[in-house]
This record gives sequence, C-alpha cells and structure tokens, in this order.
Amino acid sequence: MKPFAKTLISLSLAGAAGTLMAAPAPGERISFVSCPVVRDTTTVPCWLSNYEGESYYLTIQSDVSASVQPPLLGHQVLVEGIVTDDPAICGGIVLEDVHLTAMPELDANCNTILPVDERYVIDFHPRPPGPSAGRLAFAANPGTPAAAPPPVPEPVGPQEFDIYYDFDKGVSFRHPRYLSEILRTAEKLQPSRMVVTGVRGAHLLSNGTLLEESENTGRRRAEEVAGLLQDAGLDVDSDVSWIDARDDADGIDDWQSRRVTVTLIP
Amino acid sequence: MKKPISKSRRSRFLLPLTAVAACIVVSTLVAQQQEEGIDRTALWWAPGEDRPLPGYIEYENDYGRLGLLNSSGTIETDGHPFFEALGTNGRGCVTCHQPADAMSISVATIQQRWQDTNGTDPLFAPVDGMDCPNLPAGDPASHSLLLSRGLIRVALPWPPANAEPEFDIEVVRDPTGCNTDPVYGLEGEMQQVSVYRRPRPAINLRYVSSSRFGVSPFIGKTGQLAAKDPETGRPLNMNMMADARDSTLKQQAQNAAQGHMEVATPLTPDQLNRIQDFELQLYGAQAWDKTGGALSLPDGPSGIGPQAMANGSDGVLGNNTTRYVFPTENKWADLPEGDTEEEAARNAFLESVQRGHDNFFFRTFWIKDATHINTVGLGNPIKRTCATCHGMHMTGMDTANGWMDLGTTNHPWALEPPESPWSDEEPVMPLFKITCREDLPPHPFLGRTIYTQDPGRALISGKCEDVGAIVIQQFRGLSARAPYFSNGSAANLRELVDFYDRRFNIRYTEQEKTDLINFLSIL
Repeated sequence: MKPFAKTLISLSLAGAAGTLMAAPAPGERISFVSCPVVRDTTTVPCWLSNYEGESYYLTIQSDVSASVQPPLLGHQVLVEGIVTDDPAICGGIVLEDVHLTAMPELDANCNTILPVDERYVIDFHPRPPGPSAGRLAFAANPGTPAAAPPPVPEPVGPQEFDIYYDFDKGVSFRHPRYLSEILRTAEKLQPSRMVVTGVRGAHLLSNGTLLEESENTGRRRAEEVAGLLQDAGLDVDSDVSWIDARDDADGIDDWQSRRVTVTLIP
Repeated sequence: MKKPISKSRRSRFLLPLTAVAACIVVSTLVAQQQEEGIDRTALWWAPGEDRPLPGYIEYENDYGRLGLLNSSGTIETDGHPFFEALGTNGRGCVTCHQPADAMSISVATIQQRWQDTNGTDPLFAPVDGMDCPNLPAGDPASHSLLLSRGLIRVALPWPPANAEPEFDIEVVRDPTGCNTDPVYGLEGEMQQVSVYRRPRPAINLRYVSSSRFGVSPFIGKTGQLAAKDPETGRPLNMNMMADARDSTLKQQAQNAAQGHMEVATPLTPDQLNRIQDFELQLYGAQAWDKTGGALSLPDGPSGIGPQAMANGSDGVLGNNTTRYVFPTENKWADLPEGDTEEEAARNAFLESVQRGHDNFFFRTFWIKDATHINTVGLGNPIKRTCATCHGMHMTGMDTANGWMDLGTTNHPWALEPPESPWSDEEPVMPLFKITCREDLPPHPFLGRTIYTQDPGRALISGKCEDVGAIVIQQFRGLSARAPYFSNGSAANLRELVDFYDRRFNIRYTEQEKTDLINFLSIL
C-alpha cells in the first residue's frame, strides 16, 4: 500500500517544469491527462498519447491477461509512468511501470485512429488481432511444464487486501478475482469483523495540477465492496469508512490512491 | 416524390393503417410461403397434442431442413409439462418454442397461425401476445409487433425489484400505447415498463446454461454479484435470457409459466424437473441445405449439424485456432468443380460457406463503442473479428456473463425509420429516454442521456452502463427462426449482416455478405 505521509512536490516547481516543455529525461516520472491515439499496424494496433510535444507509447492491443490494458477512445486517459531511453515503439517514447485509466466523462475529441504506416512495426504481438492460438497472451508458455503453485499458508491474524480502481469508477471487470480472493481467505480465517476503507484518489500531474476524483467516490467504493462481500456470504460485522487522498498526492504512484482496503479481522 | 403527410395527420390514421398493413403483410407472406411449399399449418405443434417427438426429426424451412435430436430418444409428449397447456390461457411452453422453428417461433409461423385461427390461438393471448392487454381483441393491429416482428411483450417492474436504479426513465414514444397506459404504463397502476422481445430458441441448452467458463461469485464483466442457483448455491452464467433476469432453466420455466402462460398455480418440482431434463437433452441445428445438401456427414466438418451439437463440449472458449467456434476443419475449402450441374452448385455453395466461416473467424474490423466488450480491458476500439464477441465453442454466444451493447436497441444504431416529410413510415418500437445520475460516472459511450427501444439488462440491474445491453444469443437454427435480434429488427440474414456492416463500418463486399449469409444459414 502506498504510504499516506509523503512530501508534496512543490506545485510551483512542477508548473515551471511544465512550461519549459523540455523532453523528459530517462528515469523521470510523468503524469498527464490527454487523448489516447490508436495507430493501426499490419498486426495489432498500438496505443499512444501526446503530451507537451512528445508522443508516448502506452501499450499494444492484446487480451485480458495484459498487465497494461488499452484506454478508450471517446475518453481522455490519465497516464502515469517512468520515461525510459528504450527504442521508440510506434513512434512513441517508451514508459515503464505504466498505469492507464480512462477519464469517465466523454470527450469527442479523442477519436483518432491512425492508419498503418510501414515505419511502425509491432513484432511482439503475443495475441494476434483475430482468434488466439489457444492461450492467453501473457499466460505461461504452454510448452513449459507449469510449476506447482506454492502452498497457500493458512491465514493467521488480520488479513489486508487492496483493490485498485479506475478513475471515479466503482467495482468493474478488474475486481472479481480480488473479491473472490477475499471470500476464499474469509472461508479459512472465519473473521469476526471486516474493516472496509474507501479512498477518494488524487493525482499530482506533471504540470502541477491536482486531479481529484469525485467527492463521493471513497464512500461509494467502500459501501459497494462491503455490500457485495456481505451479499456473497461474508456475513460479519463491518466497519465502513472513507477518506480523501488529497494530501498524499505527490506524482509518485498516485494510481494507488484509487483504492479500497479490506481488512479481515479474526 | 411522395406527397408529404403531416405528423398530426399521420397519427390520426395510424391504427387503421397499421391494421390494414398487418392484414396485407400476413396474407402476402402466407401466400409466398405456400408457393414455396412449406406447409406451416401442418408444422404447428399445439399444446396437448398427443404425438411423440421422435428421437430425430427434420423440419423444412426456407433454406433447407432443421434437424432436432433428442439424445435420450423419443419424447412422449402426452402429459409432458413442456407440451401440455398448463396455463389458464391455453398456452404451453411449446406455443412459443415450436419444434419446426428451432424451438423458437418464426414470424412466418406466427402469421400462418393468425390466418389459420383468425387470431384466436392462445399464442395471441392478451397478456403478452398483444401490444398491450387492453387493446381490442381480434384486431391484427392489437398484435402488430407479434405479427410483424415476432415480439412478445415483456412487462418488467419499475423501479427494479432488487436494485436501486442509477437513472430515470421517460417514455418518449409509445406506438403500442402500453407504456403510457393508466394501468399498464410506467406511471400507471402497475408501474411497468413494456419492452418487446423475441422468444429465444430452447435448443442446445446444455451449452447455453453451462457454467464451466468464466463463472465466479462475481460477474466477470462488471464485478457485481452473480446470480446463484437456489438449489446448489453455485454461481450461474446468466446467459439464458435477453436481460439475464432468470438464470436457471427451472427459474425460467417457472416465471414463464406464471407470466406467459398465466398458470393458476406454480409448476411443481416434478414438472420443473421434466422440463429441465427435456431441454438439456435436446439439440438442434440445420441438417440439410437446398443447395448444399446434407450438412452432417461422417467425413464432414465436426461442428456442423445436430449430431455435432450432441457430441460437443460445452462451456469452452472457441475463439482460438485450437478449438474454433464452429469447427469446419477446412473441409469445404477447396472442393472439385463437380461432374454434374447439381454437384457443381453444391460444391460452390459449400465453398462459399467455408469463406463465410473464415470471414466470421478471421476477418478483422474495428469493434468500437460496444459496452461490455470494449470496456472489459480490451480497449476501445479493438481490431478483432466476429468471433471475439461470438466466441463460445459450438454456439457463438459470448462468454459468461454475456450481455453487451452492440447497438441493436440503443440510439444511434438501433433500426429506426427515416424521419422526414417524405416518409410515411411510422416507428413501431417504443422509445425511452434514460437520464443517468449526475453523481455517478456516465455510460461509457453514450453519456448521461441515452435513447433506447429497450434498456435491456439495465431494467434488472439498474446500472447506467447496462442500458441496451442484451445477452448474446446462440447461432444455431437461424434458418428456422427469423427475424433476428432481441427486437426482431433484422427480418432476414441479409439484414442481420447489414446491421453489423453499418454498426462497425466494416465495408463488406457483396461476396463477403453472400458468404456470411450462406455460413449463417447452415448453422
């Protein structure tokens, strides 16, 4: 979990850095909101976003097993990542530790699909644009015998789970496996109580802007998760609360502030 | 140029014109069918008929013949709850799930039944065989949606019984009169929303109800709580009904008996077991094509024909090159020219079917702004194929839980007549305005104001993002059960293909459309 007490980057410094419009150096963290752009290729499309005169490579189309999943045309995307000096992909600066989330409101300006350009080739497409070869793009190589999963230790003491969200969003396609994991743990732990804390996320963007989620987001998330777990059979007393992450936004892994933390207490 | 008709003038003449038009449509189509030699009167299966349903039987349709296979052998229908008139209105399950129509009911059959009974068959019962129960009996205009599109009225409570809605709903257009009716309307005594939907085919339900793939306590596409089987407590795939409101065969049967059949007392556990047992052993698919001949041959494709359905594995993904959605093994890819004219035509047709299959499976296009496919981690748009959404092995349904907004009921993609001074075509479907709450995220592609003919899953879940999301149907037996889509807006396979061509700007060639239609017709 991201620690809440962090030193805030000075807004004025960040703002000044933004106005210089210098290309960011490798290792520099970057965080911005902009339209995503799709570039078609002869294989799978790649995703880019332009910010302050630079084009950033975000990801490629693959499938649901990808750790970085493409954004949505029709919406701006909040991009967080670290600039690298890796060779450009699809004409974009490569970021590492990329986190993407679609902004919820519609933006008709975000509607660019660029045609195939022979200068840009994606040759690392683990999932073609049509049917798969019978496995998920980022699943283990089927030719390699799968290692036996490590034995799951019996839970002892309070068990804490963090669930991360898209901007302003509640429970979505991202969450069934995490919610199911909480249920499985609860079956073993037989908790007497559940503490659910919803966080209204906040982001310090590279241009100095503090970007906050909607006011009721932390509460909405906490109540929704507590209700879903209870309806799924986790019938224990629950303490439901919510907080704002505003004072902790510092431009470093701010995506972790869009969160619900569930603690099962024996 | 036609003479303009003012809106007010049109509305005064709407009902009489609709009635006349319905009569003309019925008699014209019935005449065409008789010319084609399909005796739909003889094919009708009335509740209470004491005749067995054979272990295997074929029924003629416009493209050839449908094969129905009872894997447990001949079904004695005398006293069987699926085939008896259990309801107070004289209906049985079989009324709307006709064997000759792939256990759905085609609009051609409905029209024939109207003509044969002068509209007195229990199929036309006021409760949902009319556009609204309080319309005049015996008038085809009172049954316009059933007669023209094969649509049954589905009345759902508003607000939803088990969800706090994230949106308000208003009636913008009410051609049937039911949604503004003082009794049946949204603000009437019963507080109902009336939507109009096609009966789904009750074949291959072992596949449709399978929970072997993508089922967990939480719905894969939304994270919300999945429905549970009340008998086992296990989560369900929720892939059976257009809005997933019932998720087991028994729940569907019980609620259909109470709603559509107006039974006096609920079905008994024994009746529900017998209905479920019958449905889980029944398979159906096109078995013979007028040009292509027998489709299910020992050395033919392993995924075609009713026997293939009985043999296949349920609950497995087919959108891959190891299993395929509809396995053909390329057996019709490169056939000889043929020694006779008939053989040449057959081989050319089967090659077209193979091209249609390949198009369905491999031809990429941009899938864009389709909620519950573009919003589940794949991105918007995705460059994929038909099989991306229609990916379940053997049926072409979506993976669980398979509701999605492909645009069949939501504006701007839903079929609507042109609105202009030079058109006198009237809209037939209701239109609702959905206003999503300001304090919650909007619908991902339609914002906070949505116009829809049928809010679909959202009438059950209350979720803004579910507006217009409809559970994807299976592809089998299409030749026997036109029209298509939940609102019957595609009258034939050409219109079905054209819808997708428009919706996703695919720009199919005429040859591609022909190949796709041929492929769909033999499923």
